[in-house]
Amino acid sequence: MAQAVNAPASGPLQWKGEGVTIAQVLDALTDFRREYAQMQLPDDDHPRPRNTVMTLIAVAATEAEEKRAISESTAIAVHHPSLAIVVRDQADVKEGRIDASITAPLVPADGVGDFPSHYELVTLHVRGGAASHLGALVDPLLVSGVPTYIWWLGTPPFGSHELRDALQVADALVVDSARFARPYHSFVGLSDTIAHAHKRLGMADLHWARLDPWRETIAQFFAPIVRRSFLSGINEIGIDYTGQGRGNRIPSSVLIGWIASALGWKLQRASGGAGGVVSAQYEAEKWRVVDVAFRSVAKPGLVEGEISTVRILGVASGTSFKLEISRAPERPRRASPDIGPLQFQHLHATGGEDDAGMELAQRKAAQHREMAFQNREQLHHVATGDPESVPQRPTVFVRERRSPDNSMVLLTLIDIGAADTLRHVQRIESTTDASLLVEVLALGARDGVYTRSLAAGADLMRAL
Amino acid sequence: MSVVAPNPLAEGLHDYRVAEPALMVIFGATGDLSGRKLLPALYNLAKQRLLPAGFAVVGAAIDDLSDDAFRKRATDKITTFSRTQPVDQQVLQSFLEALFYVKVDFGKLDDFRTLGRKLAELDTSRHVGGNRVFYCATPPPTYETITEQLRAAGLNAGDGYHRVVVEKPFGTDLKSARELNKIVQRVFHENSVYRIDHYLGKETVQNIMAFRFANTIFEPVWNCHFIDSVQITAAEELGIENRGAYYDKAGTLRDIVQNHALQLLSLTAMEPPVEFEAEAVRDEKVKVLKAVRPLADEEIAKATVRGQYTSGYVLGEHVHSYREEPDVTQGSLTETFVALRLFVDNWRWAGVPFYIRAGKRMPKRATEIRIQFNRPPHLTFGRTAAQELDPNAITLRIQPEEGISLKFGAKVPAAGIRLRSVAMDFLYASSFLVEAPEAYERLLLDCMIGDPTLFTRADEVETAWTLIDPIEAAWRDGRPPLQMYAAGTWGPQGAAKLLEADGREWHRP
Repeated sequence: MAQAVNAPASGPLQWKGEGVTIAQVLDALTDFRREYAQMQLPDDDHPRPRNTVMTLIAVAATEAEEKRAISESTAIAVHHPSLAIVVRDQADVKEGRIDASITAPLVPADGVGDFPSHYELVTLHVRGGAASHLGALVDPLLVSGVPTYIWWLGTPPFGSHELRDALQVADALVVDSARFARPYHSFVGLSDTIAHAHKRLGMADLHWARLDPWRETIAQFFAPIVRRSFLSGINEIGIDYTGQGRGNRIPSSVLIGWIASALGWKLQRASGGAGGVVSAQYEAEKWRVVDVAFRSVAKPGLVEGEISTVRILGVASGTSFKLEISRAPERPRRASPDIGPLQFQHLHATGGEDDAGMELAQRKAAQHREMAFQNREQLHHVATGDPESVPQRPTVFVRERRSPDNSMVLLTLIDIGAADTLRHVQRIESTTDASLLVEVLALGARDGVYTRSLAAGADLMRAL
Repeated sequence: MSVVAPNPLAEGLHDYRVAEPALMVIFGATGDLSGRKLLPALYNLAKQRLLPAGFAVVGAAIDDLSDDAFRKRATDKITTFSRTQPVDQQVLQSFLEALFYVKVDFGKLDDFRTLGRKLAELDTSRHVGGNRVFYCATPPPTYETITEQLRAAGLNAGDGYHRVVVEKPFGTDLKSARELNKIVQRVFHENSVYRIDHYLGKETVQNIMAFRFANTIFEPVWNCHFIDSVQITAAEELGIENRGAYYDKAGTLRDIVQNHALQLLSLTAMEPPVEFEAEAVRDEKVKVLKAVRPLADEEIAKATVRGQYTSGYVLGEHVHSYREEPDVTQGSLTETFVALRLFVDNWRWAGVPFYIRAGKRMPKRATEIRIQFNRPPHLTFGRTAAQELDPNAITLRIQPEEGISLKFGAKVPAAGIRLRSVAMDFLYASSFLVEAPEAYERLLLDCMIGDPTLFTRADEVETAWTLIDPIEAAWRDGRPPLQMYAAGTWGPQGAAKLLEADGREWHRP
């Protein structure tokens, strides 16, 4: 039974109904808008027109997701006047019933004088069969003439009638592949959905937006015209990621998919091994082989699945190049008495507790030792003639000094030819669901680069 | 010239706006413009990850500073003037590492050679490939010396691109503007000269073109058949803010009308360019400026108003008169207010007056373009019903509440027929999720990318001066006489009379 509950004029308007039909919700929404317009009546001559730029339908399977949907859509409304419909999908409950509420929180618009942002929040708790017909359920409530986005907070039921039905009313589906319950299968399902969706449907993945800093930094390296030839000289890409299991390889696969699809590489073979290792080969320019390797590396501060390092190596026109981008880079600490003597630090000492030169010198020294260690058998055999005796792995006296927010730092190291390493530090903004939603919706959800990167990434995942 | 394919990895990133690494030399690096605008804008570009690895700034000025001292000074300025607060220390530290300083006395060639050696060193260590931007954040009289010294030191050629950025004012009249263009073009090709008028970097100014040319509903009525008049207002509540010495020589006509107001006029009146590309856009802007009817000597007294503020109250506070401002000459006749009536003599705008008003110490800060439409040809509902009904109008608000407002008539919900004007507002800030960058951020990035669309071309500057010079000449002869207005008002009486004579009135922003 529907009940109108109007708050005092100074507070937000509210309406609640239990066991209602969508027609009743629609009527309430109409009444609600009339009353809201009166409440907002400014001192001059007429009410401000309602300014709505989108309908955001958030589909939540749990109470936690519902709370998140309400919180994030309200955060977005500060800049983006909108109608948000939060649907709590309870299709598994047999008894068919819809409970609804409407509120218009008075969202102060940020930096827009004294204009409050127009924002309406409709929540629908849908039990029983109606939940499987989301399109028909929300269609009457949509704001005409503005885009409708469906934000599926959990894992969309890929391949199901329910999802197909919902997508009929949407201009775009927004997901976060980082939150998929069964990452691998869902990822493949997402790729298939894009391949078979109606043509005007856009697709946005919040996790794709998280890859932006990596994409930007890689693209910037190849931006100078003189480095454009490097693109056809790439022969090795390595990615370190956190976590175990194939689900955690998805971001790495999408990033490789992005590079491969942009440069026209074809996947030749791929295999996965223990410890999260992936090895793949791509064919570039129909003859060249590019080796791709992933490895799982634990990195404090990053959540599972996140990329921690990307290395791109190659040779073009007789010049070797290496691009290494690291998130949350380890930073060396000046030697302290309890560690003991650090000879290479003395050799390269440049002064200063936090000196970039020292860090680079340490990295180069460590890289050199690592290379020597990897080739130890051959080297030792050449040196001693005794293949059985191999040297111990060298001890690297480097201790981590991680400032609390170091996880948001992106360190780029560039080596071109024999020149000194160029070091470049950037900062990644901390992202929330709201900020990522804002980013993908502001730039448009029809992103051809994402679609083809996802397809290429899915090809790699399937091949493993 | 070979065409290099675009970077395939840049697709979809910042609309393909990825800059190449470059060295930016800021002449006058210790000055006000550098500290208030350039360094904070570059910091914010770094924060948005739009400065590529290798990018570096070399400050060049007469002060004897070390790199560290320059970095310290930059830190203070960025901390104070950055649009994003608080300043991110990690981004700032990284940005400061790419900041260098060379003492340069613009008159000494040896100093430019020293600068050249520093650039060569950075070129190698930072893999910049020879790309250089020379930013003259200095007064215009220094441009000649700087550009000539750059040529003498061989810094205007070599691998990579070499661009020069100069700030407005671009001359003080047609003669000096031509001379300035000649000087700069002796050293740099016109394609490499970036004349900054920061107004064009404002999102809302660019949106004038989007509004007109990305929609089908406005362009069919955007002509003399439907439009009665156009009003361009550039009002500031501020006075001259310690710029007395400069302002007393320049005046509002040169400081605002020659550049900002005529830019707004050309964007409002221009024909649709074939594409949003530098030459296509700038060709159309020049065409419309050339179509503006220069005011004949005898018309200037009737079609122009010049005013100067006396003391008064602005935003509730008492302010001094212009002549009491520091560094203003006693009995100065410099105008702080201008009103003009111009006509654009082409097919589209025949007979439509363009009213421009710009002034200091107005009641509030407001820049807007108001397109006033004709009244309906017949009052279907009778004169009484429509007595509160104004003609349709579109207002393009540039600042401070950027947006667009459409005014139209609607029936008052009551018995009988009564009509009233209502407004439909679009507010930039409440309709987009993206925070607009500061104008300098956009323009600096455009310069690094090599997109001069939002920079002023030499012929555009010169055409604008051909419209201003006759007015300046008549004003020097005292025609029309300078009128006084109280600070905190919308200008002298003459401004209102200018429109009253045409049966119109100024819109109150």
